[in-house]
Amino acid sequence: MDGPRSQRVIIVGGGTAGWMTAAALARLLPRRCTVHLVESEAIGIVGVGEATLPHIRAFNERLGIPEADFMAATRGTFKLGIEFRDWARIGDSYVHPFGTFGRGRSEIDFHQYWARLHQAGIAVPPIEHFSLACQVARRNRFATPSTDPRELASTFGYAYQFDAVLFAPYLRRIAEGLGARRTEGKVVDVERDGETGDIAALVLESGERVEGDLFVDCSGFRALLIGDAMGEPFEDWSQWLPADRAAAMPCRSQGALTPYTSAVAMPAGWRWRIPLQHRTGNGYVYSSAFTSDEDAARAIAAGVDGTPLAEPRVLRFKAGRRARGWVGNCVAVGLAGGFLEPLESTSIYLVQQAITLLLELFPETRIAPSDRDEFNRVINLEYDRIRDFLILHYHATERTDTEFWNYVRTMAIPDSLADKMELFRRRGRVVKYREGVFLDASWVAVYLGQRVIPVGHDPRAAAPPTDALVAELHALAAEIDRTVQAMPTHEAFIARHCAMADAA
Amino acid sequence: MSSGEPIRRIAIAGDGIVAWSAAAALRRRMPWLSVALVRAPVAPGAMADCIASTLPSILGFHDDLALRDDDAVQRTGAAVRLGTAFEGWVEASPGYFHGYGAHGRPFGTASFQQHWIRAAQAGDARPFHDYSPAAALALGGRFVPPDPSPSAPLGRFEYGLVLDLPRYRAMMRALALHSGVSETGDLAGVERRADGGVAGLHLTNGNRVTADLFVDATGPAALLRAGAGGGREDWSRELLCDRVVIADAADAREAPPYDRVEARADGWQWTASAARSTQTGRCFSSRHGTPEPDGEVAELSPGTWERPWLGNCVAIGDAAIAIEPLEWSNLHLAHSAIDRIVAMLPDRDCVDIELAEYNRQTLAEARRVRDFVLLHYVTARRAEPFWQASAAVALPQTLEHTLIQFRERGRLPVHEEETFARDSWAAVLFGQGVVPRRVDPLIEDTDPAASARAMTSFHGELISAVRAAPPSRAFHDQQGRSAR
Repeated sequence: MDGPRSQRVIIVGGGTAGWMTAAALARLLPRRCTVHLVESEAIGIVGVGEATLPHIRAFNERLGIPEADFMAATRGTFKLGIEFRDWARIGDSYVHPFGTFGRGRSEIDFHQYWARLHQAGIAVPPIEHFSLACQVARRNRFATPSTDPRELASTFGYAYQFDAVLFAPYLRRIAEGLGARRTEGKVVDVERDGETGDIAALVLESGERVEGDLFVDCSGFRALLIGDAMGEPFEDWSQWLPADRAAAMPCRSQGALTPYTSAVAMPAGWRWRIPLQHRTGNGYVYSSAFTSDEDAARAIAAGVDGTPLAEPRVLRFKAGRRARGWVGNCVAVGLAGGFLEPLESTSIYLVQQAITLLLELFPETRIAPSDRDEFNRVINLEYDRIRDFLILHYHATERTDTEFWNYVRTMAIPDSLADKMELFRRRGRVVKYREGVFLDASWVAVYLGQRVIPVGHDPRAAAPPTDALVAELHALAAEIDRTVQAMPTHEAFIARHCAMADAA
Repeated sequence: MSSGEPIRRIAIAGDGIVAWSAAAALRRRMPWLSVALVRAPVAPGAMADCIASTLPSILGFHDDLALRDDDAVQRTGAAVRLGTAFEGWVEASPGYFHGYGAHGRPFGTASFQQHWIRAAQAGDARPFHDYSPAAALALGGRFVPPDPSPSAPLGRFEYGLVLDLPRYRAMMRALALHSGVSETGDLAGVERRADGGVAGLHLTNGNRVTADLFVDATGPAALLRAGAGGGREDWSRELLCDRVVIADAADAREAPPYDRVEARADGWQWTASAARSTQTGRCFSSRHGTPEPDGEVAELSPGTWERPWLGNCVAIGDAAIAIEPLEWSNLHLAHSAIDRIVAMLPDRDCVDIELAEYNRQTLAEARRVRDFVLLHYVTARRAEPFWQASAAVALPQTLEHTLIQFRERGRLPVHEEETFARDSWAAVLFGQGVVPRRVDPLIEDTDPAASARAMTSFHGELISAVRAAPPSRAFHDQQGRSAR
């Protein structure tokens, strides 16, 4: 059929964002575009061991990527949530699960009953005892969830933890197999159309000139196109999210293979622990205003739980996003468009959302302003809602042991978050939004885990007699326990389904 | 922090379907509350109390009250309605049908709507409603409940009810009283607190009713809420119809399981039939120079309180939101308010932050319903001054965004608290001849011929399934027998 002329899409940057974009466009819009990716091997990629959200599964499925193959190739593990240690108080630990509390099907949210008993002074275990996802995670087990919504085993979802350095080449093979072109080279100049301001071509170090219709900036923090060339302003959120560096240090795996990522609070930030099949990724995300690179390197070296595999490597960043992610004929995907620290594993999710929107709003020969506006509206909404969720983790703390924690505990927060917190504190209400990645159960997990405990509850939760409610909670905990017992260990599940080939 | 004093007593003012539904729902869903109803007569302008046609959500409202169909539907003489037939909204164009629920069956990499758009651009599409199971049943005069299998041709559709209003109100009143609601007398006056809140309700029998929370279901006069202060958001610059005339007649004629909405020079008129009664009505603009018709003319001032819930008084139904009955959202909005009161009930102190969240959701919902109603006018094409003026109104930003996205590429952004599903928006837009300029590029992976075959095949299955379904009258008779 006669369609619009095929668009020449030029992608700058060959990291996770670049190759995810290339593979998706080549697979899903073969008639609409040709894909040409420019990357330089001289520039390293940030990939530090990546934890994801369950949405990644839909992305893989859309690209026809078989799970076991993908897991083996990227030395991936399964992820049921994130464990937060020492956040509200030193010694605290909670899991933010990919799943619900209770059976997930009642008219009144489970945490309302939990809050009622808690307020009545009745000893109830922490709420994670009533989440199957949390309990499976805590006991290092794994099985895929049931698709029957009546079953308890349907109350969780899962994502992956994998080696991002291996994911990009994996996607590259797929993209190139679908016809995407790749050019090795460093961009030294960006030519812009004098009239429209659009990008006309890239000039590489070799002198080669790469012309295109649509330019996707996947150059990471450097933001070569959206920042340097287009000059789109960056909205700085470091007043709320002061962490601006990370010291990354992989180590050998030690102990049981956890089906979750850990985020451990530190004196001037927090450190991640991401278990992979062949090693464990670690990194200390910190604020340079509150600690030095040297101290951070020492702290991460002391924090890892296996033999270090490299010296600490320092990455620099700033929290925030571009005012607009799509300007003229330049679309930012990934870190070029914005950065939010990996506390809730949102980086790849944000890449995926930008790609999904780009697919849905893919331009004809001339880019319609309405396409750009819609892209920017939806993407900005995503960033803004995640921002509030991240700030909550820092702000809702009782820690007074370092200047960093004193700062985040007492800083002014966005009104949008202050109202949300107050509603939860009063009566356990979670502000409902249709769009945005984190749903009610996520907010409940983090509020309670951060000791934002409601002083009231939904009046309907007072209806069942106390004894009956307590008995029901015990029965639920027992059923969760039985369900967990019947699952294989995470390690055994991986060995059976998706073990990596022996590492070279 | 929270005062911790729970709400124990609620007083509801009103005497129509909205007031009695609120009384029954609040008492049944929160049985520890004491619920009193103070009668206040229903004004003819109270659309939520006076409009017989309802949306599919009414069935969910019944479920939450544990009301069975034979009690709520058959014994009250209600009839099923699968959608609305629109006539005359676009000159020289055949009418269209807005059937509830899904249209078509998705396949390949894009939604069914995109397949339809591509076919329409090629001039090769049946009307969109030909792919609506609800429309197919309705226009065939037939009815069966939706098939639980989503892939069945008669799966994934929805239906609402046409109420026999006096009988339905009587049923709801009986249910409320049976559930323990006390009917205390007739409203004589409202006693105010210093801050404008309600201190108590004075009755004609000399008694005084106090409560922790007052629910205003008194219709557009908003007898309780109006005195509490705060501003209104006015929609009369966008929605030009400001008069409604309704006539209810008892009859027992063979009526189809849908209603008709016909555009006229100065507005529109409708016909909707329950089992033994028929409602007809007219909605029009008094500024567009037509003589007043016979019957009692109700005035309509479209708009909403900026804060439907203020202090210890929450307005529901027409006391909160006034909008013309096009697309029959009135009782739905009242039900939605009742559900929201149940889900968000604060303490006795009704602190602002909790009410603000209630009001945020309520306004988001109301504005999107306004957008959907307004959509009909701004995409209609008729030459009369009323229609020209309606098409030229300044659009609310949210509707403008929807129209730009749809006209450009068939995208329908979902907003917070949306009442009408994408399929409903598409049914009206396609029905009124708005075809997007472009199609979603993701569809290009599917060959147009394969699209056409799949669409034809679905349509064929639908026709056969409808032929095998019983006439809607038979369905009602059978249900009626089983109810006895």
